[in-house]
Amino acid sequence: MSLLLGEGLGSQGELSFTLGPATLTALVVAGVLAWLLAWWTGRQAPSGWLRRGELLCWALALGVLVFALAGPVWTEEEGRIEEGRLVVLVDGSASMAVRESGEARAEQVEEILALLGPDVDLYSFDEELRPGAPTSYTGRGSDLGLAISTLADRYLGQELRGVVLISDGIDRGPLSEDLQAARESGGDLDGLLPPLGGPLTVYQVGGEQRIRDSAVEDVLSGGFAFLRTDVSLRAVVRGQPGATLEVSLSREGRVVESKPVLLDAEGRGEVGFTVRPVRVGRFAYEVSIPVEEDDAVPGNNRFPVVLRVVRDRVRVLQVSGSPSYDTSSLRLFLKEDPSVDLVSFFILRTQEDMMSGWSSEELSLIAFPYERLFSEELQTFDLVIFQNFDYRPYFSWGSESLLENIATYVEEGGAFVMTGGDRSFDLGQYAGTPLSRVLPVQLGATGPTSDETPFRPVLTPAGRAHPLTRQGATDAETDAIWQRLPEMDGYNIVAGLAPDSATLLAHPSATVGGAPAPILAVREHGRGRSMALMVDSSWRWSFSEAAEGRGNQAYLRFWKNALRWLMADPEDQRVTVSPSRENVLVGEELRIVVRARDAGYLPLEGERIVGTILSPAGETTPFELDTDASGEAVVLFQGQEQGAHRVEARLSSSSTIRGESVFAVTDRDPELVELEARPQLLRDLAAAAGDASGYRGPGDRSGPLLDADAGRERLDRRVRSLSAVPLVGLLFGLLASAAWWMRRRAGAR
Amino acid sequence: MSPEWTRRGVLSGALTGALAASLLPRRALALGAGSRIRIAELQLSSGTTSRPEAWRRLLYEVVQATSVVCDPTPVSLSPEDPALFAHPFSVLVGTGALPEVSDAAVAQLSRYLSYGGFLFLDDASGSLDGDFSRSARRLASRLFPTRPMAPLPGDHSLHRAFFLIDRPAGRTARASALEGVTLGPIAPLVYCADDLSGALDRGPDGRDRHPVVPGGEAQRREALKLGVNLVLYSLTSNYKHDIAHVMELMREGRLE
Repeated sequence: MSLLLGEGLGSQGELSFTLGPATLTALVVAGVLAWLLAWWTGRQAPSGWLRRGELLCWALALGVLVFALAGPVWTEEEGRIEEGRLVVLVDGSASMAVRESGEARAEQVEEILALLGPDVDLYSFDEELRPGAPTSYTGRGSDLGLAISTLADRYLGQELRGVVLISDGIDRGPLSEDLQAARESGGDLDGLLPPLGGPLTVYQVGGEQRIRDSAVEDVLSGGFAFLRTDVSLRAVVRGQPGATLEVSLSREGRVVESKPVLLDAEGRGEVGFTVRPVRVGRFAYEVSIPVEEDDAVPGNNRFPVVLRVVRDRVRVLQVSGSPSYDTSSLRLFLKEDPSVDLVSFFILRTQEDMMSGWSSEELSLIAFPYERLFSEELQTFDLVIFQNFDYRPYFSWGSESLLENIATYVEEGGAFVMTGGDRSFDLGQYAGTPLSRVLPVQLGATGPTSDETPFRPVLTPAGRAHPLTRQGATDAETDAIWQRLPEMDGYNIVAGLAPDSATLLAHPSATVGGAPAPILAVREHGRGRSMALMVDSSWRWSFSEAAEGRGNQAYLRFWKNALRWLMADPEDQRVTVSPSRENVLVGEELRIVVRARDAGYLPLEGERIVGTILSPAGETTPFELDTDASGEAVVLFQGQEQGAHRVEARLSSSSTIRGESVFAVTDRDPELVELEARPQLLRDLAAAAGDASGYRGPGDRSGPLLDADAGRERLDRRVRSLSAVPLVGLLFGLLASAAWWMRRRAGAR
Repeated sequence: MSPEWTRRGVLSGALTGALAASLLPRRALALGAGSRIRIAELQLSSGTTSRPEAWRRLLYEVVQATSVVCDPTPVSLSPEDPALFAHPFSVLVGTGALPEVSDAAVAQLSRYLSYGGFLFLDDASGSLDGDFSRSARRLASRLFPTRPMAPLPGDHSLHRAFFLIDRPAGRTARASALEGVTLGPIAPLVYCADDLSGALDRGPDGRDRHPVVPGGEAQRREALKLGVNLVLYSLTSNYKHDIAHVMELMREGRLE
């Protein structure tokens, strides 16, 4: 029988056809038409039993053919009971790679897996669940709750022989907090875990002895600070309870301050460092603690952080020895600029004026707080302007130290301007004072110290290229504007230009030491900048231009340029480098925007930018890009090394027009912040799984809890096609042959 | 602002002052005459008068009492004169109705006041609401169509630019307040109804040209203080409103 019907065809099954009803109908119609054709073509034959037999055989043969073409399928189903699975979850996070007593926790996983045997469903997890054993123990953060929930969904409705969890109990998900809260409140742990379908056995790895690991867990800085304003950096450190850690703050690789911190009973401590930034820009700091020999994770003993220092407003101190048109114009300009916070002090009365017969009660004058201004308050200013101010009558005490303070202030990053007048430069007797060492001109002229002959200053080659004296979009326009500006009333004569200084405007005919007499000179000294304007009639650049109907743009542009140059803000350079964030994690993508501007500070389009990113270990990543229509080029970078990275960029056409910045890459893997195994969490987890669960402590290698009765019904389904069954072909062949034989015997063709 | 006096400072200054005085280089008075404070009197074809001696007296007092360097000789100009821009402090003393000022003069005066110039309108007519007062207000409204002339408050910087003064005083003392037009940190146009220059004016013999009523010489002294404040205010704008000054004056009880 099996020869005719094929192997394994049982009697308990269900017949179905693969063809749809429409196709099946068409097939039946085609069979009927074929039978009618047989009848029509044989109608000449005499009727009799042969003719009737032929038509019957044709009908049966066509029926068999239609049956075979309709795709008959024989389906049989059979159920059977299979043993429940043993499911194993292995923690694949980075904390499992921590070594205890010379052995990584992960090595214990192998022992436990060997205990369980090969017939298990194995999964690993950190922030997600994956089939198979962990390929490496580098996962960032383990989420026990998520892993168990995903597993429960996957085996929903099945009876499991058992579930095994292998972990150190360091959990970064919400489950640990839920378990702890429930335990502390005396509540029921049941319900915190989804039904697992089998008994849970928790194997703890690690925790046999206490880990020795000190770490800087975090540095709280807020990311930015205001210039010359104290900012606090708070570091959270961890180590052996009761120990004292020496915590150091470094800036740009140099230790700024160190403080001892006594750790509490939990092994934690906090320390604050106060810094007062004196320059605008991004600056790399690092908090670090010493690395002991047995420190489990030396990499977390330092924490780099970059602070972005911004200027709230430019704080200017204007000191004038005598109110004049010049001081008035400058005060109005500074006062009306919303980006400037101006503090003015005008000397309204000198000692000589005190005999004029007015009582001090009638006057609205206040004492000149020079000692406070030029000592404790000095660092709060970005720019100090001495406008026709002679210090001697007023600095009655400590003049040398106060002038030294100003010089030091410039050398440490401040800006200073002295403008001309009968109380300035040599006329103000500044020669030989500490202040003279930061001025861009040399004092101590041997001849006359002023000249009252009107003159028109001329641009020097340096002035033509310098942003401070730029007045137009082009050099020619700048030249034309300076040539048309009004004459000055006179100027202070000095001994010459100071070292490392530049004359931007010069006297058209007078010389000093063979060089044109400086009228406007600038200097970069130390970290600061200074400017000397040897006239007291710059107000004419405003007023006389206004008389011609050209407004006061030349005056405003001059002083705006001066402020911008004196501040030396990185954001005001022609090439600026701006990382999108100051602090990023290892592997996190950072967007670095390089902006290029021309001499008039307009965006440079299509300019080639070349630069490098320098890692802490000295590895360089070069880049080369063209700027877009807004003068910007974007570099994408993923730091792989912890520490401060420096970015430098410049125009390919110039080696001097450049900018730089810094950002910090932090390897703050939360798994490596707390390293101690958490047995309590694992016990709670086992308790939450119900009575049929167990906890195996460190070194406990007893077998897992198993449900021997667990099993599942497995339904086997067999589907066989009947089209190719030998009986079908045999029937069709016999019936068609019989029909044909009877047709010929009956005399039909 | 005055230098801070300490006993130690005075002693050291007294000991060294006499010696140092002979050794100090000779002082220039600003760098060139153009930067010294000089008063420009605006003259129209009618309705104005010239009082050079009043301004000479005022600047003499400014030199004596303050650190400001002045050229006391006034200069007389018409409002259309481009030389106006060489003299940021100007006055117009009116005695009656002013003729219609040309558009060119208004445009120049407007630029002058907008870019740092200062104009003091002094009503010498002796009438609070006379022809000059009306002319001055019409001129102010042409110069600043969107900014009306308004009384200056009692705590205005002009009232404490050098002297502490309560109210305006001139040859007369009838107005309760000065008036002005304010642009940002400064009022570049100030109107006084009490003939300030009349109180300061002197004849060729050096005697006061006009009696001052009702306060007599005490009022003339107050007028001089107002004049000094006008000059200092034109140079320092709202400096006396800076917080450091206000706090210090309040601390000393000189301001409430």
